[in-house]
Amino acid sequence: MDNMNNKVLKIENLSIAFGGLKAVDDLSFDINEGEIFGLIGPNGAGKTTVFNCITQFYKPDEGKIYFKNNKGEVEDLVGVKTHEIIGKGLVRTFQNIELIRELTVVENVMVGAHIDFKASLFNQFFRLKKTREEEAKIRKRAEDILDHMGLLAIKDMLTAGQPYGVLKKIELARALMLNPKLIILDEPAAGLNDTETLSLVNLIREIRDERNCSILLIEHDMKFVNGLCDRICAINFGKLLAIGTPQEIQKNQEVQIAYLGKEDD
Amino acid sequence: MNNKLTNFYKLHKPYTQFLLFGIILSFLPLLVSLGIVKYSLLTTVASILIYSIVALGLNLLLGYSGLISLGTAGFMGMGTYLTAFITADLGLPFELALIISVAVPMLIGVLTGLVSLRIEGYYLAIATLAISEILRKVFIEFDFITNGFSGKQAQYPKLLGFLQLDRNGTYILIVFFLILVMVMMHNLVNSHTGRALSTMRGSEAAASAMGVNIYRHRLLSFAIAVAFSALGGVLYMHFVRYTYPNAWILMLSLNILAVIVIGGIRSISGTVLGAFIVFGVPDLILKRLPVIGSIDGAAYIFNGVLIILVILFYPNGLINIRYDIQRNLRKLFKKGEEING
Repeated sequence: MDNMNNKVLKIENLSIAFGGLKAVDDLSFDINEGEIFGLIGPNGAGKTTVFNCITQFYKPDEGKIYFKNNKGEVEDLVGVKTHEIIGKGLVRTFQNIELIRELTVVENVMVGAHIDFKASLFNQFFRLKKTREEEAKIRKRAEDILDHMGLLAIKDMLTAGQPYGVLKKIELARALMLNPKLIILDEPAAGLNDTETLSLVNLIREIRDERNCSILLIEHDMKFVNGLCDRICAINFGKLLAIGTPQEIQKNQEVQIAYLGKEDD
Repeated sequence: MNNKLTNFYKLHKPYTQFLLFGIILSFLPLLVSLGIVKYSLLTTVASILIYSIVALGLNLLLGYSGLISLGTAGFMGMGTYLTAFITADLGLPFELALIISVAVPMLIGVLTGLVSLRIEGYYLAIATLAISEILRKVFIEFDFITNGFSGKQAQYPKLLGFLQLDRNGTYILIVFFLILVMVMMHNLVNSHTGRALSTMRGSEAAASAMGVNIYRHRLLSFAIAVAFSALGGVLYMHFVRYTYPNAWILMLSLNILAVIVIGGIRSISGTVLGAFIVFGVPDLILKRLPVIGSIDGAAYIFNGVLIILVILFYPNGLINIRYDIQRNLRKLFKKGEEING
């Protein structure tokens, strides 16, 4: 807790069990400020469960999740309400895209700034000055982000029916609305073709450099992870295998057996 | 100048549309007094407009928040009894009655929601069904206030203590409230609360990750739905001037649900269209047909068949028929051009 100097997130002895199954078992790792950090492991290793614990979708059985929030204070996230997490400066995307089909692209992105809206219900009912100002301000912010991603042309189209790669970008755009300190991406490259993956690598780097945030991601595509991440944490059956640079992880015997070796056969 | 006008229209499109709709509706009393349409038509249209208000509230709940309430009739009935009691028995002004008769059902709605909305799933539907039946029982049993089965009466509203409305005046008041509710709904669903509700309906995970307090937003949309139901009840009471327990049965709640399914989920104009179909067609058309008109409950059969057809062909409501009409018209137009060219 005291040595959070350059760290944005520090997980200590995290454990959660579903019935008899220990999905995450005594896992510890930390993420530096400005770092792109990868979490890898075979299917069912507990990666998404770790994400869900950090974002408080699941309440961990044991362990601490220290996070340096927007104001620079260190805080244990365990027990914080799910909908309060984003206000701390921590935002996530989902493995299966969770966008709203009935809303337009820009409206979906604007939801990312939901907590920045302060207008009262009455104010919204009659679309008074405050509502109009907030709407305009936050719509502009959403459009700027969409413009940056090259999606401005489709901003007023519904998300239903957009190609998969575009949906992934929209979800990422939504996550950027509040200038988070840490962005958690659950399999951002899944289902993308090679060109799309390459442009995503650049986009994620750009986001980190321009917005001064850290990124934690889960990914299966090893080329993607090795090319992008500063450090990688490999887990299997909810337990830590190794933490290190991509090169170290690639050389690690245990990781090779558990994960890389099997994939090559 | 013309350009300015069209610009203004585009900028305020939904508002001007709603206003135009309201102005057209306001001509009905004139048509009645000129003898062009029947006297009874005004009553039918007024009740359709009242049910539109109620259905708009339910559409916010079902279409935008993904929750189902079966207590619409009960809360509407409660609005009628409260306003009748406050204006007729206590002799207090209409405006005060309006506020109390909307606030009290809302409070009861919130209490119901506090218990049933914590749990995911259809518990709200079950809880509201129970509340609605309890309320109906109250209307019957508390006869020292409600007059039991014989029902309760009230007068046309007196605005601001001196402006005594007649039948036509009350009708215009109903039109005013409908347009107001349409504008409010339009604004709400296009603001951050509306988007939060839609997100909650589409993906609870995404909503809570984006900072939407699910429980609070569920409660909020339910409270608004109840408020609109009660408002409909108040207007009903002061137009029909009579309420009795068996007017507020489950069948009415289901009919309001049918309004949304038939007219258009997540659509304001669709809701009004649905109300005209569900509450208008049986009264205005079916009853006048030779054989069908004599069948008891023909309206139910009509609604049932219509729901099946709509779900098959227009799953998002009949309001979407306009796109098909537009497309077909365009096709016809193009064909004509091709032949000419």
